[in-house]
Amino acid sequence: MRAKAGANEALAAARTASSSDDGRAPCLVGALPQARSTSPKGARQWLRSHHKQALLAAFVLPALAYVVIFFAYPLTYGITMSLEKIGFIAQSGPFIGLHNYKEEINDPVTGKALVDTGIFLVASIFFQFTIGLGIASYFSRRFFLSGFLRSLIIIPWLFPPIASGTIFAIMFAGQGGIINETLRSLHLISSPIFWFDSSFKAMFVIIFVNVWIGIPFNAVLLYSGLQDIPGELREAAALDGCGPWQRFRYVTVPLLRPVSLIVIMLGVIYTVKTFDLVIVLTNGGPDNGSQLMSTWAYTLAFQNFETGQGAAVANMLFVFCMIVAFFYIRATRREVAIA
Amino acid sequence: MNRHFAMQVFWKRHLRRVMLPIGGLVIAGLMLLPIYFTAETSLEPTSALQALSQSLVPSHFIFSNYRVAFDAEHGSIITSLLIASGAVVLSVGLALPAAYGLTKLGYLRSRAVVSVAVMVLLVTQMVPGISLTLAFYKLFYHLHLLNSIAGLILADSTSGMPFATLVLRAYLGSVPVELSDAAYVDGASEWRTFRSVIAPLAVPAIITAGLFVFLFAWGDFLFAYTLTAGGNVTPLTKGILSFFTNNTVNWGPVLATVVLAAIPSGLILSFGQRYVMGGLRAGALKG
Repeated sequence: MRAKAGANEALAAARTASSSDDGRAPCLVGALPQARSTSPKGARQWLRSHHKQALLAAFVLPALAYVVIFFAYPLTYGITMSLEKIGFIAQSGPFIGLHNYKEEINDPVTGKALVDTGIFLVASIFFQFTIGLGIASYFSRRFFLSGFLRSLIIIPWLFPPIASGTIFAIMFAGQGGIINETLRSLHLISSPIFWFDSSFKAMFVIIFVNVWIGIPFNAVLLYSGLQDIPGELREAAALDGCGPWQRFRYVTVPLLRPVSLIVIMLGVIYTVKTFDLVIVLTNGGPDNGSQLMSTWAYTLAFQNFETGQGAAVANMLFVFCMIVAFFYIRATRREVAIA
Repeated sequence: MNRHFAMQVFWKRHLRRVMLPIGGLVIAGLMLLPIYFTAETSLEPTSALQALSQSLVPSHFIFSNYRVAFDAEHGSIITSLLIASGAVVLSVGLALPAAYGLTKLGYLRSRAVVSVAVMVLLVTQMVPGISLTLAFYKLFYHLHLLNSIAGLILADSTSGMPFATLVLRAYLGSVPVELSDAAYVDGASEWRTFRSVIAPLAVPAIITAGLFVFLFAWGDFLFAYTLTAGGNVTPLTKGILSFFTNNTVNWGPVLATVVLAAIPSGLILSFGQRYVMGGLRAGALKG
């Protein structure tokens, strides 16, 4: 897979090199190699090649307009919102500088939401990745039904998150929930556990469900990463006397590093955006005990009518995502370079 | 000694053949247990405050939960279908020409422009929806797009359009450049080349991109929840939540609704799996 992507890159680069030496369109009939000069023919050619670029830019233009209207504008608008005192979201308010940010930094709920978002991120990613890697390596061996079972495992990832959240909200229900019933029939508990009555248990459930949703994604990408490691390398290591653990440690792990980095960073991006799971499982409760940055921004703006402060929290989350995005892009570039 | 070794090989070979599939079944079973539980409960009679049965198969099949679910949510299903299809048309409609333009610009002397564009598309996928939706609310309020299917199509395409462009660009990069050159030599205009040569070739990638955009929009909750507040446009994700909060004790119909919401995923998994796999890898690893 990586090799293929690398080949494509190389091919594209070769084409670019061969076709655009003089800024000409590729394979133009009558476009003889010629120095770019002030001669009429050269000028005409220059115009023609740039005409082509303008024409191609027109193909990109509608998408560009969409990105400007639906990303650039809302994000800059979000900055001005966070600098104003706004109550109901559709209204405007007076400019109050960084007051909303100060207010939110000093708010204990924001502090807890920040810490909980961090815990949620680290725990989710750790378990998604390790379990996903375990499943990927198990299925990297070929056996009866392996392809079929591997495809079944993706199902949880394709479910709308709100649907998965609803399933687990019912499974973890205090009265009659199947988890309590099972624990009770195994005599592990005598009275039902109310999973949503403390911040700790609520966060546990949210993380549990998010891990369940994230495992397939990790497993699929890591599986394809494992497939790209040439079998000869492991065979060679085996001939040199490496056991299975050593083969994993010294052959698989280093070669899986680039894919792992990308999987982890995409996991961070998906996880930090999590919103629906919290709303359906706990709605941020009890007593704001399971708010993440996303749901806390929502609660401030849409329920507490403190839109300015909500925008401030949303912007903090945005800055965090952009930092991750920076590292993601750096990692993917290196990945392409390696391939 | 030799015989002992042969026995060992025999057992290793045959035990493997049995144990590996069993282990695989256990792993898949554990992962799918919640879904099995959902399907099973949705087919079973449940009444208020009655503890769920512990049986692995329904004592007797009923479809009344589905009737209740469908009666309550059929409007939402139609709304979500319209939104998701609209998002597919809009996202792919914007993404396909953009991907073509970017690919061709890459062959000219515009690689810097192209890599900036690709980077912007990557970054847009990492913008949290909550950072957009506050401004969307205000914007849509003034444009009268709140509580409208059109508004949700526009908002949902924020996750679909950049992804579709990246997937399509990755695919078009593998189409031999000689094809469009040949069309050019034959006198086809840029638009004609795009429409009659490139677009038909890109159909597999269009399907991949379309499936993903559909799933994103079908599963969207954030915009459905925030941009329809108090209105009568209720996408299925929002419908599930209110159905659930209004039926905290009678779970059969709620879980039946969950199954209905999962139908597109199931169909895509059965018929479009290779497209999904291709998209997952292209979107994540190529960029």
